[in-house]
Amino acid sequence: MLAHSSRALKQITPLQWWLVALAALMAVGAGGGLVVFARGLVVTNLTDLVPWGLWITIDLSSIAMSAGAFLLCAAVYLLGLKQFQPVARTATFVGLIGYSMAMLCLLLDIGRPDRFWHALVFWNPHSVLWEVTMCIMLYFTVLVLETAPILGQATWFRARWPRLAQALRHIHHFAPVFAIIGLGLSLLHQSSLGATYGILKARPIWYRPDLAVLFITSAMAGGPSLVVLASMLAARLTHRAQVNDALFEKIAHFIGWVLVVYLYLRFWDAFAMTYTYWPGRSEGLGLLTSGTLAFNFWVGEILLGAAIPAGILLTPQWRKIPWMRMLALGLVVGGVVAYRWDTNLVGQLVLLTYLPQEIVARYTDYAPSLIEYFTGAGIVAYGLLAFTLGVRYLNVVDHYPVADEEVEAQLPLVAGDRRLIYRRVG
Amino acid sequence: MTQDKINRRGFLKAAAITVTAAAALRLGRAAKASEPVGSSPHQWAMVIDQSKCIGCGYCTLACRAHNDVPPDISWNKVIPAGQVGEKEVFLPRPCQHCAHPPCVEVCMVGASYKRADGIVMMDYDKCIGCRYCEVACPYGARAFNWETFDGPNPAVPMWGEPEVPRRPRGVPEKCSFCFQRIDRGLALGLTPGVDDDATPACAVACPMKARVFGDLNDPESEVSVLLATHPSYRLREDLGTAPRVHYLPAQKG
Repeated sequence: MLAHSSRALKQITPLQWWLVALAALMAVGAGGGLVVFARGLVVTNLTDLVPWGLWITIDLSSIAMSAGAFLLCAAVYLLGLKQFQPVARTATFVGLIGYSMAMLCLLLDIGRPDRFWHALVFWNPHSVLWEVTMCIMLYFTVLVLETAPILGQATWFRARWPRLAQALRHIHHFAPVFAIIGLGLSLLHQSSLGATYGILKARPIWYRPDLAVLFITSAMAGGPSLVVLASMLAARLTHRAQVNDALFEKIAHFIGWVLVVYLYLRFWDAFAMTYTYWPGRSEGLGLLTSGTLAFNFWVGEILLGAAIPAGILLTPQWRKIPWMRMLALGLVVGGVVAYRWDTNLVGQLVLLTYLPQEIVARYTDYAPSLIEYFTGAGIVAYGLLAFTLGVRYLNVVDHYPVADEEVEAQLPLVAGDRRLIYRRVG
Repeated sequence: MTQDKINRRGFLKAAAITVTAAAALRLGRAAKASEPVGSSPHQWAMVIDQSKCIGCGYCTLACRAHNDVPPDISWNKVIPAGQVGEKEVFLPRPCQHCAHPPCVEVCMVGASYKRADGIVMMDYDKCIGCRYCEVACPYGARAFNWETFDGPNPAVPMWGEPEVPRRPRGVPEKCSFCFQRIDRGLALGLTPGVDDDATPACAVACPMKARVFGDLNDPESEVSVLLATHPSYRLREDLGTAPRVHYLPAQKG
């Protein structure tokens, strides 16, 4: 009996283990989500002093990691770098996943998930967050339209619904339009997410225009990094994913330079804040450089998150080595998440009094609750699952796509198939 | 075919630029300070005299009762503010009802809005609970309903009876200058700040008469007279929020 079941266990493929693990995480996350919807946000460790926590970080990070989509599509369709088209295809799918993860996170985080649709109907154009929400909704639509051709290219989809598949593939003709719109929308909201913090006078550590610039710069590093890393992993884990490493090398080189720009901006942003005591701002900087966020800042954001990856990705001998490149890209992704975690928290952990005699800074702290971790893990698991299924069923990592005519030739003839018409004439 | 492509691309580019420019212009004009809703002959303000406040907290309790505020939330906080001479000084802090409210500017659905008479209002039905207003307020005047407040309010009936609906879980709430009492009082011909029934509950409850409410547009109202004859300050003037709550500093002796 035991021998029989151990043989059965050995027959479960690694892919199936992976899917089971992800499904389990998603189930736990969904359970946590139900508890949140039922009992309210009291089950989190969020407080009136720290109202934005882990979920906001995941939301911000998901959007940053989706930046590969607008960048690569702009490169292909607006700059004419057609050789990157297969990577742009992967990036678009990753972007779709990322934005859907962000929307899931927001659904959890807002106090009234049942009023999610209010953002569509009630507008306040003065609010940066309104602009972010509008852009995200519009850009999600763009991503859906940009991803539709990928579905239309899938062999099983074409066999089953040939005309619909044809229609979906036709949408691809508008790719340059989507690229322009996507570029505009992304430039707007990626920086506006930084501005969400940057416009708040009440929080001196946040109140500066640099945040908008830093957010979009780090997104431009993190987004392509995730796309290349995920593609390289997929290529090593399954034969379905066929990749052209030369493309990855070029993109990795680009990411290296983006990191240099990011470090330069970050340096001046931080250095400028060291001059003259400013209540609230100086304490915030202190938290980052020598306080509770110091390890995350110096090691997570700067050293591992930007400096070391920049060094690796800008050194050709190291960039060529696949595992080094993947390590560097992984570190960049981690660094982008660390940056958002730090930024979100530092403004909330420092409390300013408003008493007239003297402005005094005090501190609070925050650590996510178990439910926040579980639901967050569930959302990340959903993202991984979606990408896995995309690689398996939609061929999203494929730098050598089979030409349309060849695919068509292999499909069985069905009534109304235009090849039948040619046959009759011939 | 190529000619078509160039025309189409050119048209699309021109269209994109035009639309973006138009949107930017429209949003740019709207991006100045939020416009108040409606019009009013009144400009409500509150003056709190710190030399009279003894920190008893009756104002907080009356507020909790009249507005059905949960026990773990205080719309009005009484903060110890040090000493002047031998005397303990306190700072009662309601919502400041800023003339340039950061919370109104950031609310993405417009659930926070300014009335023409100066009161910063909350539309609890529009609010989606994103808590941006809570993060934006420099005075920490907003509190979020992390869970549903069921059951009786401990401040009722000793400190008053609820006059507004209880807020649901998932929205933040804050002091409203008891707009319900002001509006009802005006409709009945009463004067807010003079007649108790038209005056915010905190001002009515104060045993030391440290809190004064009234109309800045009326030069003979108590608030106008106090501000004209006494030194006063507002919290965090440097932020440019222009609060409507003025404080008379505690004097020695």
